[in-house]
Amino acid sequence: MIEIWNYRHLVKKIALSELKLRYKNSVLGLLWSLLEPLLIFIVLYFVFSYLMKLNVEHYQLFLFLGIICWDLLEKGTMMGLYSITSKPTLIKKVYFPREVLVVGMCSTALLMVFFELVVFLLFMLLFGVIPPITALIFPFILLGEFVIVVGLSLALSALNVYYKDVQYIWAVLLRAGFFLTPVIYPVIIYPPQYVGWFLLNPMARIIEASRKTVIYNIMPNITDILIIYVTAFVALLAGYFIFMKLEPRFAEEV
Amino acid sequence: MKIENAVEVINLSKKFIVPHEKKTTVFETIASINKKISYEEFWALKGINLSVAKGESVGVIGENGSGKSTLLNIITNVLRPTKGEVKVNGKLTSFLELGVGFQSDLTARENVYLYGAFMGLSDKQIDKKFNDIIEFAGLKKFIDTKLKNLSSGMQVRLAFSTAIQTNPDILLVDEVLAVGDLEFQQKCTEKFIEFKKRGVTLLIVSHDLGAIRKYCNRVLLLHKGEQVALGGAEEVIDRYVYGIDKTAQPTQGKKTRWGDGRVVIKDVKFYDKFGKESYNFVSGDPMKIRISYFAAKEVENPVFGMALYTDNHVQCYGTNTDLKGIDIKKIKGAGNIELDIDKLTMHEGKYLLTVAVHSKEHVPYDWLDKQFSFNVTKKNNDAGMFEIPCKWELGP
Repeated sequence: MIEIWNYRHLVKKIALSELKLRYKNSVLGLLWSLLEPLLIFIVLYFVFSYLMKLNVEHYQLFLFLGIICWDLLEKGTMMGLYSITSKPTLIKKVYFPREVLVVGMCSTALLMVFFELVVFLLFMLLFGVIPPITALIFPFILLGEFVIVVGLSLALSALNVYYKDVQYIWAVLLRAGFFLTPVIYPVIIYPPQYVGWFLLNPMARIIEASRKTVIYNIMPNITDILIIYVTAFVALLAGYFIFMKLEPRFAEEV
Repeated sequence: MKIENAVEVINLSKKFIVPHEKKTTVFETIASINKKISYEEFWALKGINLSVAKGESVGVIGENGSGKSTLLNIITNVLRPTKGEVKVNGKLTSFLELGVGFQSDLTARENVYLYGAFMGLSDKQIDKKFNDIIEFAGLKKFIDTKLKNLSSGMQVRLAFSTAIQTNPDILLVDEVLAVGDLEFQQKCTEKFIEFKKRGVTLLIVSHDLGAIRKYCNRVLLLHKGEQVALGGAEEVIDRYVYGIDKTAQPTQGKKTRWGDGRVVIKDVKFYDKFGKESYNFVSGDPMKIRISYFAAKEVENPVFGMALYTDNHVQCYGTNTDLKGIDIKKIKGAGNIELDIDKLTMHEGKYLLTVAVHSKEHVPYDWLDKQFSFNVTKKNNDAGMFEIPCKWELGP
């Protein structure tokens, strides 16, 4: 972990070149990475505001921010998961701390989410919502989520070297998670007796807290922040432990 | 670790586990949780000890699968030892493969920065050396060309030029001593010599014994993961070329034997400068070919001949006893005839030998067409197929 600080320029390099590669290969370029969450947003917005008639203030912003927060988890862990297995020659022929690759890929996802957030900001202004002062807390929420993403990615990428179906299992879990987390709907639709259980999900806390601070000018609960950071700490520690345990044989197994 | 040593390898062993049936999914692993896993163990390295002093150049030689690359991989820290340990003192750079991490969709410039980062160079360091890199690679015109539009030779030149900028204390090289065309190879050679002069510790794995001779003071010889010899370059290379029994005997090719059988060639053997039977020779060394024959009845005036071919069947040389003015009156029963070669002038490669015995009128008794072969390893880096004895002299 200290080593990674010495290799920070390599993390930056990997993150940026990965981003470059993504938009160099297609005509629409960077727009593609924006288009995907945007399209999901449009479909979900249509379904839930016209057909399901969810009654939420600024539902379009509410939904969009939820999707962006979820996107960081989904993009980050999916890209992180492949970071080792997609670069076998690098693993076999050059030495550098392997976690650099994972953090680099997660950073690419973070950069992509930044672009989405820029679009979101334009969107907010378009709907006449000025970001409130509480939005200043949002970067800290995002940081917590990023650390969770790195922790998960470390574990997943290492496991994926040994078990090739981890990627499929994780994709299914992510999809299930999408619906179990209040991305499209507000927390109040949970049956009141189970709300406590659903709110153990740190992603629910992240999304809720983000909405409160960015859209509704409400300070997040201290428990929200606490749960997010405790999860981040545990995820990073566990992920790093698993990664380090499996790392010595990467070059033989990848 | 002694302070004057750059690399210390202590009692190093590496085991690879090769399962018969590999479980690559969680599902398979769960499904077979009760079954016994059968696997084979393969020791790629067994008890290697090596210490390389600072500024020393050590070569590692041995046939394919002897563990040379595994050794470099472990010193690089890509693979981890099963037993023993490796200590490294100084900044280590390894050229195990050139151009690892190159992205074909990025430009040459972007790739230099990316590859440099993998090799441990910061952007600032590359900024300073960028012109040198491009100049060395000879790719000035192609700085902003996408890598995929460069030829493979250009890519490897770019990789080499970037990699050598790392300013290592210790440099590990696996078969990438010289890349590109002749001119670039010359530049590579100069660079390595410069490294050597600067006191960089070199550890070289190569099949190019000429290069090993040129750069290395000491050589480690591996055979099937075991340390066979460690010592002076000449001595160990001789041991490698002459000492190890090759299981790969020259293969008997298609049916290419004819003659009336009045004299039968029983056997042909090659002997090296130590008088030992061998199939491997170093260019410039002597060789003796012994032909054993058998004549059931008395045969008068037989002529023994030989012809030498490259492995793509170009005839290099041929002679016989008649041409050399040797008159063999008559032979009967079993016997030998020997051909003494002072000096093998060919550079390197596999050579095929035809051996024949026939009458003065060229009626073949027994003709074995390209049925024997031996290998020659080069001694220096002169170009071409064979050596012409010569020397340079400066004019007055």
